[in-house]
Amino acid sequence: MTVDPNAATQGFPSPAPGGRPPHPARYLVPALVAGAVAVGLGVYGKVHDPAGTAFNLAGFSSTGAVKSWLATTAFLFALVQVVSAAMVYGKLPGPRWSPVLHRWSGRAAFLVAVPVAVHCLYALGYQTYGSRVLWHSVLGCFFFGAFSAKMLLLRSERLPGRLLPLVGGLVFTVLTLIWLTSALWFFRTFGVTT
Amino acid sequence: MKRSGPLLTLLAGLLFGLFMLSLNATTGTKSASSAYQEESPASNPSPSPSPSATGTTPSPSTSRAPVADADYAGRTDDDSAAVAVTLRDGRAIAYFCDGHARESWLKGDVEDDGRLRLTGKHGAKLNGTLDQGKRIRGTVDIDGGHHAFTADRAKKPSGLYRATATVRGATLDGGWIVLRDGTQVGILNRDRKPSPAPRIDPATGTVTVDGARLTARPVTP
Repeated sequence: MTVDPNAATQGFPSPAPGGRPPHPARYLVPALVAGAVAVGLGVYGKVHDPAGTAFNLAGFSSTGAVKSWLATTAFLFALVQVVSAAMVYGKLPGPRWSPVLHRWSGRAAFLVAVPVAVHCLYALGYQTYGSRVLWHSVLGCFFFGAFSAKMLLLRSERLPGRLLPLVGGLVFTVLTLIWLTSALWFFRTFGVTT
Repeated sequence: MKRSGPLLTLLAGLLFGLFMLSLNATTGTKSASSAYQEESPASNPSPSPSPSATGTTPSPSTSRAPVADADYAGRTDDDSAAVAVTLRDGRAIAYFCDGHARESWLKGDVEDDGRLRLTGKHGAKLNGTLDQGKRIRGTVDIDGGHHAFTADRAKKPSGLYRATATVRGATLDGGWIVLRDGTQVGILNRDRKPSPAPRIDPATGTVTVDGARLTARPVTP
């Protein structure tokens, strides 16, 4: 049984056909919040003097290892996100609880990514001395903005059908690029080590 | 009714992030989950595992190490090398560098009476004493050599800096001592092969190595 993705965001009672056009605030607020989050993180990273602190977890050899593995965990949850989203939209056969899977794998990915980002911003800062760190810095800020936008858009009803998958796909793509410019680099430089 | 899940998720992430930030800001170079002695338990909100798992005695909760945080930099008595020491919360990190091929990073604790006994790789040792916080007098034993040194209290931009990076497949590890008169003594290792290091801009830590711009950071224990 496929799930009608539009049903999830329709208001109750059902809007009459030809009802009011969507209020611009429902796009503007998420976009503004997203921009504020992204720019805010970038400004903090640039202005704050990087502290070079360490972040240690038992069993891991270094801060870089901890963060790379946490980032990889977030990325794996993000893969579950893509698959479960496809299930919710009926593109892949899936269980009735695929929306629940999507929501919770998303929360897990986000919460696992937060300490990594906090350490990156606090201890390393927003850096531009090489293209890898430049892309990582820019995309890292952008990711949290895009994720905030996706979360806030979900609160609206009657969104254009493609908008959520588009923003969700953008969030996934950006996270992938962030992972490539950090964890992958770490594993290639230092080995796939804990 | 608008669903509340997404907003709660964002809020949870924000709170978690602020919590992690406060841990970073209050524990300095050690995180809540590492088994190190805690310098300021009052401001560390998380329940961490036994603080003395490494065998070091935890410091009493009301007192911080009586030795003040400071940086020191100076030269050996025979003028062959430079030595810099950074003290933070009772921990010390030192760097001995001759600007050509001999260098050593040494670490250890600062005793309450101001004595330092630091150790580094390949049996390197630094034994020193703080003289009223104004300077450190001591000796460094490295590669069979024995060098006495005096390191005076250093204020930014003088001090101890380090940069590590990978540029075009080569692993770079550089250490710099910036002395009070502005002279710099540093060694840059390319894939562990040492050579004199290019100058850094101590105000920003920027240095250009093989065409790539790196940032050297002040070193903390």
